[in-house]
Amino acid sequence: MVKFTDEMKDALRVPGKGGSLIYMATSSIDGKPNIAAMRFVATHGDDKILISDMFLLKTKMNLKENPECSIAICHPLDAGRDWVFKGKAIDIEYGFPLDFDWYGANAKEILDKWGDWAALEPPKEVPPDIVFPKPAQRGVVVLHVEEIYSIEKGKTGERIQ
Amino acid sequence: MAIVLTERMKGWIELMGCHLCVATPGGVPWVTVSRFARVTNPDQVSFAMEKGEIGVIEDALLKNPWVAFGVSKQGGIRAAFQFKGKGKILRSGAEFDNVKKMATGVATDAVLVVDLTELYCTKPGAEAGQRLDIMPPAEVDAWEKARWTDIPGK
Repeated sequence: MVKFTDEMKDALRVPGKGGSLIYMATSSIDGKPNIAAMRFVATHGDDKILISDMFLLKTKMNLKENPECSIAICHPLDAGRDWVFKGKAIDIEYGFPLDFDWYGANAKEILDKWGDWAALEPPKEVPPDIVFPKPAQRGVVVLHVEEIYSIEKGKTGERIQ
Repeated sequence: MAIVLTERMKGWIELMGCHLCVATPGGVPWVTVSRFARVTNPDQVSFAMEKGEIGVIEDALLKNPWVAFGVSKQGGIRAAFQFKGKGKILRSGAEFDNVKKMATGVATDAVLVVDLTELYCTKPGAEAGQRLDIMPPAEVDAWEKARWTDIPGK
C-alpha cells in the first residue's frame, strides 16, 4: 500500500505553487504507448494523483479501454523528485454518477473541488507564448497509485514503495 | 510522410534528454529516462542508457517495440512534441560504440535506437494531439517556426 511522503505531495502540485510539470503515460489495450506533459496536477489523500481533463485525446482514449497509467516528474527532475507513480486511472467526467467511487475517491467530491481547475489555480506562471487559450475542462483523471519507483540517476528502477 | 526532425526538436532532445514510455503487449506502461540523447539520423534518435534505466523497459520492449517519448526537464510545455517509433536495444557494434563514446558521464549499459514513425504536437489547446508527420518535412519546419523560434543551446 502506497503512502505519499510530504515531499511527493509538494511535488505533485501545479508548478506555480512550487510543484512540477509531469509526464502522464498510458497505453492502448494492445500496447501502443503514449506520453504527454501536464500542468494541472494535485494529490488526493495519500495515494491518489489528480490531473485535469482539458486537452486529453489519446490519453483519454487509452484510459477508456485500459486504466494502466504511470506518472513521472518531468521538471524539476534532478531536485530529488525522481519518481514514477504507477497504478490505475480513470477520467471522472461530468455526467458520471455523483456517487461513483474509484478506490475510495468520490466523483462528487473530486469534481466539486477540482472541476474548474483553471479558475482555482490559474496558469499565472506560464509564459504568454505557450499559455493555452480558454480551457474547457471535461473531468478529472484520478490515478490510484499502487507502486512508486525511482528514476534517480544510478537508482532507476528501484522500488520506493 | 518521412519524418525529419527540425533543428529546434533536435536541440531540445539533445540538450535535455527524454522521458521514454514503452508498454507490455497487454498495455501496462513503463516510464524511464535517458539523460543522453542524440539524433543519429533525420528520423532516428539514440539514447545512452544506464543499467537501471534500460532495465525498467527492457522486458516490455523485447516483446513490443513501440516507444513514445518527450523531452525531459521542461518547466513549461515548450518542447510540445511527442515522438513515437519502434525501438531496438544494442549492446555492441558500431552504433553502440559511437553513442557510448559521446555519452560522457553516462555509465552506458545499452543504447536504445528509436526509428520514428509518428510525430505529434502536444501544445495545450486546439493543436493538442495534432499529428505532424502527415505533413512534408518542410511544412513541419515552417509550422514550427511560425509558433516558436527559440533553439535550445543557441
